[in-house]
Amino acid sequence: MFKFDEICELIRLVASTGVAALEIDHGGSKLRIDGVPSVVFADAPAAAAAAAAAPRPAAGPAPGSAEALAAADEGLHWVASPIVGTFYRAPNPDAEPYVKVGDIVHEGQTLCIVEAMKLMNEIESDVAGTIVKVLPDNAQPVEYGERLFAVRPA
Amino acid sequence: MFSKVLIANRGEIAVRIIAACRELGVATVAVHSEADRECLHVKLADQSVCIGPASSEGSYLNVSSVMAAAEITGAEAIHPGYGFLAENAHFAEVISECGLTFIGPTADAIRLMGDKAQARRSVAAAEVPVVPGSERALASRDEALDLARVIGYPVILKASAGGGGRGMRLATRDEELRAAFDTARSEAEKAFGDDSVYLEKYLERPRHIEFQVLADSRGRVIHLGERECSIQRRHQKVIEESPSVALTPELRAEMGHAAVAAARAAKYLNAGTVEFLLAEDGSYYFMEMNTRIQVEHPVTELVTGVDLVKEQLRIAAGEPMSIPKRRQVVATGHAIEFRINAEDPTTFAPSPGRITHLSLPGGPGVRVDTHLYSGYTIPSHYDSLMAKLLVWGEDRDEAIVRGRRALEMFRVEGVKTSIPLHLKILDEDDFRAGRLSTHFMDRYAQ
Repeated sequence: MFKFDEICELIRLVASTGVAALEIDHGGSKLRIDGVPSVVFADAPAAAAAAAAAPRPAAGPAPGSAEALAAADEGLHWVASPIVGTFYRAPNPDAEPYVKVGDIVHEGQTLCIVEAMKLMNEIESDVAGTIVKVLPDNAQPVEYGERLFAVRPA
Repeated sequence: MFSKVLIANRGEIAVRIIAACRELGVATVAVHSEADRECLHVKLADQSVCIGPASSEGSYLNVSSVMAAAEITGAEAIHPGYGFLAENAHFAEVISECGLTFIGPTADAIRLMGDKAQARRSVAAAEVPVVPGSERALASRDEALDLARVIGYPVILKASAGGGGRGMRLATRDEELRAAFDTARSEAEKAFGDDSVYLEKYLERPRHIEFQVLADSRGRVIHLGERECSIQRRHQKVIEESPSVALTPELRAEMGHAAVAAARAAKYLNAGTVEFLLAEDGSYYFMEMNTRIQVEHPVTELVTGVDLVKEQLRIAAGEPMSIPKRRQVVATGHAIEFRINAEDPTTFAPSPGRITHLSLPGGPGVRVDTHLYSGYTIPSHYDSLMAKLLVWGEDRDEAIVRGRRALEMFRVEGVKTSIPLHLKILDEDDFRAGRLSTHFMDRYAQ
């Protein structure tokens, strides 16, 4: 079985090296990642990972599989937490979240708060673009380097 | 007892602390850097938090990250292990200000013992012998000569601002001291921009003898005997053992008493170690106190049967130490620790890398404290200690024989280790005869 993280790593590898395709057969699980986006963005990474991990013939792209994920994650920018703490989407419990999926953000815009030792650290976007995903739940603890947002750069 | 403890460390000592917590029914939180995701302590702890990048400054030495990890996991106490933040008074202070418990001494005791001059004064006031010397800068050559005649040659001149051997000059008689005084001063001036020098009695072949102490919040302070750590290279210990062949029961009692007095002088709490230099004539001098659990603590555990880390947890939780009041801690047999480093056994160059195969020794009288597993990659960011191999025997001879066979049965592939060095040391006549001094390793020096 391929883990979701492993698949993401492989996708990044394919994207960064510019190879045409990568095929792996590992313990009966087969995975193929095309370097050129062949499927339009699909926002279903969990389903894609499950499909990719299931044994199936190696050749040919399958809809909703790793290829779709490759395309979906390709070019996405991840905003990671620079500190350990508690993730908050809004400045206070009654306020609206700083951002929602679909919002257009500019570089330097506050996306959330990570609270550590009673200090509210505003986390800013380091890129301009569209918010595609918000990963942690509100008030959830986050680690150093944990992914908070996926942004599709403008 | 605490319900959850955060371990602000990595590697073998973090694994050791997890073991103690488990036996006491305490939940554990591991913290780790990005380079340590696959480290064993992360896998064994009940919870783990990534607190920063590979560099220690951003992770294991980052007080606010460690505190934030304690906060989000609800840990009640923090064990610092050794190294990193273990002897950082500020860290101990922040922990108590946040309403958590630091598993170690008070910030005041850490600060006092961290300042060499203050530590020396405070233990001297408690009648613990310190290396005779001028304590402060010498005003003139004549003052140096007068003092040297009082304390006896050989003496060593050291730069007040110094370190690293520069500005140090040895003298065995008046004529040498006259010449050395001016040279030491000008060297000190050149090296540190400060020409003040002080003078100390020079011990030619001292042994490093340290005493383990435990102090609880009920005011009880005891020692658990000595460890001889004379075999060291560049102040890094290589082999430690207990008991030391150099101590008679009378001397052990006297030095143990001094160690307890030194701890009391610092109003010490929890586990600590008082280090002495022991001269060939049997005179001994306080060197420093380490205000933490030490790498070599299992040596004492093997001969006394006391679990020092569990005692640390009990003491920090406000409980009395578990050693019955009227029972003397009795050491039985002989224990030796070999520090197995990921390094070239002849050049001492670090050898990080992936462990492709690992097979640990076992059998009677063998203990291995390690975070290694087959497939683990030793990162290059931290120290090279990969395992501590400990052996216990009825006497020193049995411990040596057992040490040899355990070293031979310790199989590691993928990185170079210091195992061949240990086997070489075990073959030395001086080692077998117990003729040890802090210069022992000079024979292998590069």
